[in-house]
Amino acid sequence: MSFISDMTVRSPWLFRINAGSCNGCDVELATTAFIPRYDVERLGCKYCGSPRHADIVFITGPLTVRMKDKVLRVWHDIPEPKVTIAVGICPISGGVFRGGHPIAGPVDRYLPVDVNVPGCPPRPQAIMEGVLLAKDIWLERVRAQEEARQSLKKLGARPEEKKEEPFIDAGYL
Amino acid sequence: MHDLGSFLMQTLQGLFYLLIFPGGLFALSLGLLFKGVDRKLEARFQRRVGPPILQPFIDCVKLAGKEEMVPRGAPRAYFVYAPLLGLVGMAVCAALLPIPGVTHGMTDMGDLLVYFYLMPVPAFALMMAGSSSGSPFGALGFSREMTIMLAYEIPLLLVILAVALLVGAPASAEFSLNEIVEFQLANGSFGLNPVMMPALLAYLMFLPGTMGVPPFDIPEAETEILEGPLLEYSGAGLAFFSLTSAIKSIVVLGLGVVLFFPGTLPGGILVNIPWFVLKCFMLMLVALTFVKVASARIRIDQAFRFYIKYPTPLAALSLILVWVSR
Repeated sequence: MSFISDMTVRSPWLFRINAGSCNGCDVELATTAFIPRYDVERLGCKYCGSPRHADIVFITGPLTVRMKDKVLRVWHDIPEPKVTIAVGICPISGGVFRGGHPIAGPVDRYLPVDVNVPGCPPRPQAIMEGVLLAKDIWLERVRAQEEARQSLKKLGARPEEKKEEPFIDAGYL
Repeated sequence: MHDLGSFLMQTLQGLFYLLIFPGGLFALSLGLLFKGVDRKLEARFQRRVGPPILQPFIDCVKLAGKEEMVPRGAPRAYFVYAPLLGLVGMAVCAALLPIPGVTHGMTDMGDLLVYFYLMPVPAFALMMAGSSSGSPFGALGFSREMTIMLAYEIPLLLVILAVALLVGAPASAEFSLNEIVEFQLANGSFGLNPVMMPALLAYLMFLPGTMGVPPFDIPEAETEILEGPLLEYSGAGLAFFSLTSAIKSIVVLGLGVVLFFPGTLPGGILVNIPWFVLKCFMLMLVALTFVKVASARIRIDQAFRFYIKYPTPLAALSLILVWVSR
């Protein structure tokens, strides 16, 4: 089974959530992915447009009050096992926006953040190191998931069905 | 008893064609390999290192282990079986495909017309997926997929008619794939025939549209409608769509080889399988990879106009030339 989990972590698909960022970190993320010099595709990474396809999620920005519900909803839409990376100083501590009235963050009040990549904005090399650290965490999770499945199989139990989050019919469109 | 025995033999043979060669395993692994080479080449054209060539296989293994989510409000059976429908349609298509000098495919099961009806099945699966996902982006992708399908099916039909009329000349039309291969082996490939050149060009233009690669990746545009019909799929469902597109690439490229370049080399199966793969690869290089790296996505109305403006008259020109010369 370790073969499958080793294979699995060689294909991390990335998804970006902008939680009220100034766009600086998003530009760095785009740069990391798309220019030849820092090609992350050689790690098997791919930027995907849909949260349902994602494995590793980047959160940028200080999490504003208005973005909070939407960010949480999108984050819950990402299938398990997933790893969360906070990119930039804003999601980690609030940065220069800390304590401001429109700020609900830092992000780890609401979500389990696995990797922090500080910087304003962080250098591409730092982001890539963050991806590598996230891959290690992801590998642990995939293995844990497999073990859980196998032990359930041994006990003859059916895996518990995950209850879906209540669908919020937001009028945002 | 004799009937039962031959029936069993036929069933087994059909299953072999469907599941192992040339459909099923062969087409699947070859398609995924082509996809990997395509991604690697794309990266090299952009001076990147690119993913490993086996990346599509790794992606599928990963997707199989992910959690699968069905959105609330989506009709469950419809949503879950849509990707399977596309995969089955394409597997049947691949089983019907004759590989010149190697196999006749499931000859008695279908001809070019069956092919023409089966080829849009993945597009229908995408439409089912988009319309059942309950997401506005899925609905947008559904409408775009339908529009572009209506546009690229017209030149395809004209190309098929031109080939059939040329093979069946002077009296009728011949739709059997094997007859088409035999005719070209005897009289020279259509790809080198000046009368069929416009049809070949039209077929080359049809390829990126049906495979959904840039500039025609409009239904699955990930930057504007979040991958459209695929938006709500996760885990195994998404893997099925990726497998479908892998087999589909072999099916449409293989059909191109059968219709235009079915020449064989002397030396039996061991030479002719790599020869077929090489021809498919060259076709992919010209019609998919080069086009992909050299262009950006266009709008759906531009794509529709493109298909009406260029490939359709080209294919019609071939059809008229064939009609006049017979």
